[in-house]
Amino acid sequence: MRLRFPFVMDCGLYTTSYQEDMAILFAPGAKVKVACIMAFFLFFPQLVNGLFGEPGLYYVSVTNLVAIAVIGALGLNILTGFTGQISIGHGAFMGVGAYTVGILTTKLGLSYWAALPLAGIAAAVVGAFFGIPSLRLKGLYLAIATLAAQVIIEYTIIHWPGLTGGSAGIVLQTPKLGSVSLSSDVPFYYFALLIVTVAVVCTVNLFRSRVGRAFMAVRDRDIAAAVMGISLLKYKVMAFGLSAFYAGIAGALLVTYNRVITPEWFSADVSIQYLAMIIIGGLGSVMGSIYGAAFMTLLPILLREFAGFLGNYFPNVEQSLIAMETALFGLTIILFLIFEPEGLAKLWNDIKNYFRLWPFSY
Amino acid sequence: MRSRALWVVLLCTFLSVALIASGCGKKKEAAAPSHESKEPVKIGGIFDLTGGTGDVGEPYAKGANAYIDYINSKGGINGRQVDLIDFDYKYDKTKAVEIYNKLVKQDKVTAILGWGTGDTEALKQIIAGDKIPYISGSYSEGLLDIDQCPYNFLVAASYSDQARIAIKWIKENWKGAGKPKIAFVFNDTPFGRSPIDDAKKFAVENGFEVVADEVVDLKALDATTQVLDLKQKKADFAIIQGTSNLTATVLKDAKKNGVTTQFIGLNWAADEKVIQLAGDAAEGYIGVIPFAFPYEDVPGMAAIKEYLASQGEKLEKINQKFVQGWCSTMVMLEGVKRAGDNLTGEGIKAGLESLSEFDTGGLSAPVTFTPESHRGSEKVRLAKVTNGRFEYLTDWIGYK
Repeated sequence: MRLRFPFVMDCGLYTTSYQEDMAILFAPGAKVKVACIMAFFLFFPQLVNGLFGEPGLYYVSVTNLVAIAVIGALGLNILTGFTGQISIGHGAFMGVGAYTVGILTTKLGLSYWAALPLAGIAAAVVGAFFGIPSLRLKGLYLAIATLAAQVIIEYTIIHWPGLTGGSAGIVLQTPKLGSVSLSSDVPFYYFALLIVTVAVVCTVNLFRSRVGRAFMAVRDRDIAAAVMGISLLKYKVMAFGLSAFYAGIAGALLVTYNRVITPEWFSADVSIQYLAMIIIGGLGSVMGSIYGAAFMTLLPILLREFAGFLGNYFPNVEQSLIAMETALFGLTIILFLIFEPEGLAKLWNDIKNYFRLWPFSY
Repeated sequence: MRSRALWVVLLCTFLSVALIASGCGKKKEAAAPSHESKEPVKIGGIFDLTGGTGDVGEPYAKGANAYIDYINSKGGINGRQVDLIDFDYKYDKTKAVEIYNKLVKQDKVTAILGWGTGDTEALKQIIAGDKIPYISGSYSEGLLDIDQCPYNFLVAASYSDQARIAIKWIKENWKGAGKPKIAFVFNDTPFGRSPIDDAKKFAVENGFEVVADEVVDLKALDATTQVLDLKQKKADFAIIQGTSNLTATVLKDAKKNGVTTQFIGLNWAADEKVIQLAGDAAEGYIGVIPFAFPYEDVPGMAAIKEYLASQGEKLEKINQKFVQGWCSTMVMLEGVKRAGDNLTGEGIKAGLESLSEFDTGGLSAPVTFTPESHRGSEKVRLAKVTNGRFEYLTDWIGYK
């Protein structure tokens, strides 16, 4: 039951029962909004096809890259944003997932559908293993320890050609769903959409459960958490495993889409990029992971289009603007850290609340 | 609160500008002259201008652009203008895939001029699926597997072949006692590692002793540790697989530390830039040269000279990588020409596969493609830096 005066927007949230207070779809109209967003994404390929014809497929392919990044960023956010354990090994954990799919399907002839969950599990096991030092190490020291995980895994991949194909990599047999190839844009889009939806719903609910709350307790003060009866070993390792599970699935999807697995895809810069995603998107926010992943994937593309557009009027400005991209990324991260440490998610909420609570926000 | 409002305004401005920009993003098509009767041919370009290999990638991209300008000024191909839609991918494979998708899906290009080994390898399955003839700046042996990569074409000898030719040349000219000791200097990327295994195998078969592997980063400013290791292991020869920066660093540090190893650089490690950067230290350095230098007097250079003159530039301003880009584009467009009006991936592939001893006017070895092999050439020349200039030691030679 909510009280409302019809001529102003809400000036606060008045929930009268515990159920209402804990609802995921909290604000009024949220169900309609979520339904609209889902409908938009369900018909997105048809929409771009209608708007741009066949070249619209490019937009679907960009969305696919975003979807993969979203899954990876969600995983890292569980670990870094919610549990407070920094990891620079995320790219390598993606690699573990990717190579598991590659090796299981090409060398052992396993079905892709069996290999995909196994990829997540393999990454989770490796991730949990490299998470063990987190019991003793914190902050910067843990960052370096996970960087070591990144380097060790990368080195193993490159220097074990018998298993991983070395630098030439593995060519994946295109997984098929009936007669449809999963590597083509539209089928992959729906598959990725399904997985992203499941991942988002699972993650949102995770933080309404004991496990999720334990993660946050560990993040806020691990000694206090231990006093409250939270086993640090169990939950820290679990956070690493869970995070790596998401990474493994993201890596497996990445190679499904690209059909070739090479070590290049899983280098340390990938790990850094994921860290940047969750910082820009919002540490400790599920929606933030999505915004951050989309932002980091789309910014270079928008910048390129913008440069191309300017290039029509100011020749030569194009090259220099594109060359500034890395600097721009750095600047974005610094600005976010200073002005909005909680990232795009907080920014978006502020904008929403401004309008929702207008004119009386308390 | 004020800073927040500022943020909102900034974000909105950025988004709206970006939206407008992406709406008007069809840039180069608008600029192309519209008097031709036939549709233009669209060729995509994925180049590295500012990334790890930008030192050699930028002149290569310029050469490719220049050849297309030149052909367009001569009336295009079969009466069609050629439209090159190219982007800088900063040697980043994720970007390469995204740009590839844009080129193929949005811009509908029929063929692509690519660049790096890592990204070309990563794209090979997609290239085969989309049937996009792809000439890349990478001459990796891995791209010659015709079943895996039916649409990849290599215009010059593969890195492995280049290394084998160098090894064979050393063997023929070895005057020292005992087994010649050979080492490999490379960067830890798919590009760098590409020829190493093949070359080692060939070296051992030819009675060499392989003494060391030295990994040097593409943008390294110091290679003292690596060259001292070469000195300690008494390597007589070291084959360099890298780009100009890496090579110059190695040569300088070798000279500084009194290393007597004879360095031999493969294609991307041997151009004028190495001499510029390394100065005296480059003296005596040997390069494996698949493409001509601008100062060579070969028939093909006349067109480059003519084009540069029309742009108010001089031959002295360009380097060998420009010629390489020019020449690779020439081969691609020859395939397009032979495809006639069948401007599909298959048509251009068939056109390229009909190239037999195709003469680039001395800019490279003659190029031959067949449906069974996309190994354009197996021949290179070796040149030694004497008085600040590469002077040829051999004619076009192979290793077989």
